[in-house]
Amino acid sequence: MTNDTDRDLVGRVAKGDRAAVRLLFMRHHARVYRFVARQTGSEAMADDIANEVFLELWRQAPRFEGRSEVSTWLLGIARFKALSHLRKKSEAWIDDDDAAAIADSADTPEVTVMKENKAAALRRMVDALPEEHRTVVDLAYYHGKSVSEIGEILSIPVATVKTRMFYARKKLGEALKAAGHDRGWP
Amino acid sequence: MSAGENMSRRDELEALLPFYLNGTLEGDDLEAVEEWLASDPEAAVALAEADAEFAGAVAANEALRPPADALSRFSKALEAEAVPARSQAGKSWLANVWERIAGLPAGLAWATAAAAVMLLVVQTALDTGRQGGDFEIAGEQGGVGAMPFAFVKFRPEAEMADISAFLMENGAAIAGGPTAGGVFRIAIPAKTAADYDRLVGLIAAQPFAETVSEGRKPSNGG
Repeated sequence: MTNDTDRDLVGRVAKGDRAAVRLLFMRHHARVYRFVARQTGSEAMADDIANEVFLELWRQAPRFEGRSEVSTWLLGIARFKALSHLRKKSEAWIDDDDAAAIADSADTPEVTVMKENKAAALRRMVDALPEEHRTVVDLAYYHGKSVSEIGEILSIPVATVKTRMFYARKKLGEALKAAGHDRGWP
Repeated sequence: MSAGENMSRRDELEALLPFYLNGTLEGDDLEAVEEWLASDPEAAVALAEADAEFAGAVAANEALRPPADALSRFSKALEAEAVPARSQAGKSWLANVWERIAGLPAGLAWATAAAAVMLLVVQTALDTGRQGGDFEIAGEQGGVGAMPFAFVKFRPEAEMADISAFLMENGAAIAGGPTAGGVFRIAIPAKTAADYDRLVGLIAAQPFAETVSEGRKPSNGG
């Protein structure tokens, strides 16, 4: 059973197998949760939305056509739901803990990384990227998605994916250089 | 590759490095990056930077920890979910049986329906009994088998839920069938010929009925 592929499991979900959707939850929940948390800046919202994504999987499995990876499909659902929630909720929805988790804009990234090593600095720099740039970075590096899969998840052309990745990497290089770290950027 | 208009060839290659590292690059893009890495010393430096970004992005994501009870809470929510359209939440088990039958070719559907008939007889009789009805299941003294009956052929598109609801409402039941021609014997709870005629007429007027013929009819004139 645990050797079933994601597509096998979705097929079982489509037939009403609740155990199969729990297996998919175990496989993909953490990534969906993190994706939404970084989209919305709110772990509380991510918790709600990630649950909704898998309930949506339960409801929509019969309509899954298998044209994309299941993980890509789930992230696409997550992206849509995150945007919908953000439209509905005001900034005030984000609680204090969540707000504290968002990068503090009072300090420039350059200042905050002065005493950090390059690895820690890069992590903070990635966090501090504008959302549209950070998302393509996360989807490529953390989620392992291709250019076309990112385009599918974000509903943007592949050329835009490449452009966003270019500017994301450029900003990372500039920020690191300003913080005193060498980078092989031209 | 046709990325943004302000990107140079070098910029485009820089943008592709994350996809080279995550193993998703292919075709012309993969070939271009490999060629660049083989021919330009700066490419190796850029690749090392992308690798450092890779580690930074992974660390940034993994710093977020999903709640430990996420699965148990999801499981509760899942259990509360109705079974989606694939099994028609909200319909009776009879409706589901009927729906499966209706999905078969007409001839096979009616043959398959025979297997559900006795279940329907039992279900209908039991439900009627709960409602204070005055007949019992087939085979018992004074049960469906002893009742007046009519012969009914249902339309292929008929819904079991509609038939079931109608029979229960009127104290009727499927008592036998179907024949090779798809005809069912419907027990009619009529003590007089007038009651019989009224109920048979009512069945004939239903959208699920294709043909209705008289069978055993009470002899008195009511």
